[in-house]
Amino acid sequence: MSDVFGISVTALQAFQAAISVTSNNVANASTPGYDRETVNLNEGVPQSNGSVSVGSGVVVSGISRSFSQAAANQLNTSQSTLGQLTALQGYTTQIDNLFGTTIGGLTTSLQNFYGGYSDVANAPTSTAARQALLGDAQSVANSFQNASSELNNLNTDVNSRISADVTQINSIATAITTLNKQIVVGTAQDGGQPPNELIDQRDQLVSNLSQLVGVSTTTDSNGALNVFVGNGQPLVLQQQTTQLTTVPNQFNASQLEISTSALNGNVISGNITSGDLGGLLAARSQVINPALNQLGQIATGLSQTVNSQQSAGLDLSGNFGAAIFSVGTPQAVASSKNTDATTASVSVDPTGLGALSADSYVLSYNAGAYSLTDTANGSNVALTGNGTAGNPLKANGISIVLSGTPAAGDQFLVQPTATAASSLKVVLTDPSKIAAAGAVQASASNANEGDAAISNAATINAANPNLLNPATITFTSATTYSINGGANQTYTDGGDINFNGWQVQISGTPATGDSFSVKSNAGGTGDNRNALAAANQQTVGVLENGTTSISAAVSALVTGLGSQAQQINTAQTAQAAVNSQALSSVQSVSGVNLDEEAASLLQWQQAYQAAAEALTVGSSLFTTLIDSVNGTFS
Amino acid sequence: MRVTQSLNQSQFLSAIETLQSNLSQTQNQISSNLSFTTASQNPTAAGAVDNYNQALAQSQQYDTNANSAQTRLSTEDSTLSQVQTQLQSLRDLALEANNSSLSNEDRTAIAAQATQIQNSLLALANTQDGNGEYLFGGFSTQTQPFTLSAGGATYNGDQGQRQVQIAAGQTVADSDSGDAVFGQIKTGNGTFTATAASTNTGTAVLGATTVSNAGAYAAGNGLYSINFTAPGTYEVRDSTNALVSSGTYTDGGTISFAGIQVTLTGQPAAGDSVAVAPSSNQSLFTTVQNLVTALKSGVSTSAQTAQLNNAIGTSINNLDQALNQTSNVRASIGGRLNSITTQQSVSGSQQIQLQSNISSLQSLDYAGAITTLDQQNTTLSAALQAFSLTQGLSLFKYIQ
Repeated sequence: MSDVFGISVTALQAFQAAISVTSNNVANASTPGYDRETVNLNEGVPQSNGSVSVGSGVVVSGISRSFSQAAANQLNTSQSTLGQLTALQGYTTQIDNLFGTTIGGLTTSLQNFYGGYSDVANAPTSTAARQALLGDAQSVANSFQNASSELNNLNTDVNSRISADVTQINSIATAITTLNKQIVVGTAQDGGQPPNELIDQRDQLVSNLSQLVGVSTTTDSNGALNVFVGNGQPLVLQQQTTQLTTVPNQFNASQLEISTSALNGNVISGNITSGDLGGLLAARSQVINPALNQLGQIATGLSQTVNSQQSAGLDLSGNFGAAIFSVGTPQAVASSKNTDATTASVSVDPTGLGALSADSYVLSYNAGAYSLTDTANGSNVALTGNGTAGNPLKANGISIVLSGTPAAGDQFLVQPTATAASSLKVVLTDPSKIAAAGAVQASASNANEGDAAISNAATINAANPNLLNPATITFTSATTYSINGGANQTYTDGGDINFNGWQVQISGTPATGDSFSVKSNAGGTGDNRNALAAANQQTVGVLENGTTSISAAVSALVTGLGSQAQQINTAQTAQAAVNSQALSSVQSVSGVNLDEEAASLLQWQQAYQAAAEALTVGSSLFTTLIDSVNGTFS
Repeated sequence: MRVTQSLNQSQFLSAIETLQSNLSQTQNQISSNLSFTTASQNPTAAGAVDNYNQALAQSQQYDTNANSAQTRLSTEDSTLSQVQTQLQSLRDLALEANNSSLSNEDRTAIAAQATQIQNSLLALANTQDGNGEYLFGGFSTQTQPFTLSAGGATYNGDQGQRQVQIAAGQTVADSDSGDAVFGQIKTGNGTFTATAASTNTGTAVLGATTVSNAGAYAAGNGLYSINFTAPGTYEVRDSTNALVSSGTYTDGGTISFAGIQVTLTGQPAAGDSVAVAPSSNQSLFTTVQNLVTALKSGVSTSAQTAQLNNAIGTSINNLDQALNQTSNVRASIGGRLNSITTQQSVSGSQQIQLQSNISSLQSLDYAGAITTLDQQNTTLSAALQAFSLTQGLSLFKYIQ
């Protein structure tokens, strides 16, 4: 008799527990990180009454989580990659939208600027045309400044998001550590039965963490979880948290890097390649800074070519033209870790524009020798010179001069173009100082009897100090000439005659005694040769070893940024699909299907009803027995 | 595979978001009539459109340049046409003055007219364009190129010739210097000049001069003297005083030597001479001044009349050279204007081509876009409907 009651009671308790678990599943159907739980039922230990042994009911041996570590790991990895791509996409999309198809009007303003030179060439003495050209120059400078300030704003945004991410990572790590403690204690208390709710919470935290930064985990036998970031740097070890911190970049205090405080402030940014944090670091190093450098390369090229054309011609007062643009001095920053106070200064070679790249370099001093590493690809760049003012270190169109001898291991970050776009300024305010005229002019004497004609005098070396000195080419015979009474030279019809940095051609048949003069073009205010040459620079290849014109470089930048954005968009979409797949796998194991739970509820409800019925049967058996006993004794 | 309601819902939501974002992009395309608005939507086309736009803007700039050159050249051409008219009038006056029936007073009156023309020519040579730049100053467009002087006019400009870019690699000169138009004009017949000595006492007047053998004339230094040893005989000597030729002079006859021919009328006296020299450059204004001076000089003797006739004859020759020079410059201007017009039509079709290239890359294919919009719309509404249908499916509804 007692068996019936005992067995029924175990069944009622077990099914109540099962109904509770099922209800709990239904209740948590939408709870993030909740893993579906099932009740584990075992048979009770059989009791022998001598001849046969009868089961003693049902025992709830535990409540287990439906969980697949493999699926969870896959989802975490996928979330890290997705987080990285999504953060990156945020920036490429912003740049794409900001710059549109014309880099914030850069193409148009450059076009107007060169067109402005054409207008000056059409009316070299017109102050209005000259003033308009200066206005166009100002709008070019504004476009470069705006574009670079937008990019710098994005860098600021990257910094604040890095800080926010690090704070969040630390608080999640602390929470995981706390849960680790509770889980270790709980597991021990429950005799090896892990506290599911706490594990669910911890798994959810790891999942959240993996969106911020790529993590790997190991579980210890006591139930504690160890979390590693980057290249195996521990974030959580058992019940101890290693906090991440942000530290300024050794070369650029305005850029934050990630460091582990436990490892003497070692910077681990380079190892963080996934998660939101990885995306932020990649946006800075692969998108924003390269774009700034490329803009700077174009700005440097523009400034240098325009200014050098200016200096080859004469302004309205007959003086050599003044510079229109200025760009800031390129940066060479000493590492904050350097032990020596030596400073480095860097400049772009006036003749090295073609070799100038948009890359940044690290200059290192080791074992008595300098080495230069391209930060874009880590390759070593060949250097010449010894770093003194007389013999600067030269490579890729830049010259580096060091103030002394650095200590071994000292490093400098050399950024030839990073700040050029933001520092591009118009320094010319006087429109009359635009050099529209060529420096020298040639003329034939009116007394000439031959029919030889002289071409315009072209300036081929504006730096020649004698360029503007008057010179006379006199024909000492029909086939020879002398310049300023010098030695006779043989006349070639149409051949180049070079002197004092200018070049002319004389063609036709000169007579003996005919003379031609070349002199300063001061006063030749209606001349437009230099303005024409400046206008034509728009399509002249000056960058990338003379293969790319200023305009083409801007186009290439637009296309490059667009391609990058497109590529990231595609990768992000693909990864989102992968992630959705991983999420499905996890959900198919751990998620709560309400229909399933409804069926379970029915099942447990019926089982409970049946067990209760068994109790009723037992009770009725007991009553029958009592009644019969009462009948006997009454 | 087990599917759970929460996964189902979250996946549905993200699918709807994607559909809506695609729909919105298509809507943007249709409302902006652009197939892409950011470089990422089609980087290759964006780069190409950028290049085409630059080429288009450059071509339009070349048009502006060409228009500016056209204006200047047209101004120059009409100025030179007036110069020609004035020169022609001057030549007519000179011919009129060469009539022996005129009195000194008549010639003084003609000289007054010639002076008027001289002033007009000076004003024309100092013409300014719309920007206030002198047309004939060379590069010195802000200095008045010609100022009157005793012998004619001084040229203050230079020989610069401004070029204007009308196409990639193609420039045209938008002006000619004062020297080239008015200054460097060959004297005589363009090869040599024949000048009667001012000391001549006979009545010989120089007529036509011609070159029959340019090579023979060019072989020497070009300097000869025709000396009349007696009224009917002449000898020709070169600059070394060597005898080149000699003969008998007849009135109106031609004296030939060294590949050239000189015609004389009238009676030279013994000791009269005619100097022959290679042509040199002379300013138009010097020619005009010489004519005015000659017209003003009174004559009383037949020898003086012959000298006057010779001076006017020389001036007429030089005026003819000036007319030639002006015609040549105008022909060259015509050529330049032609090449500008040709280039304008070329650049016009280039621009149409570029615009069509840009349009084919950037403009929206409306039919395609609207079809896409329709498809996206259908998909979205189907998805929404499917969701509302499946959300009703729950076992809980049936087990109450």
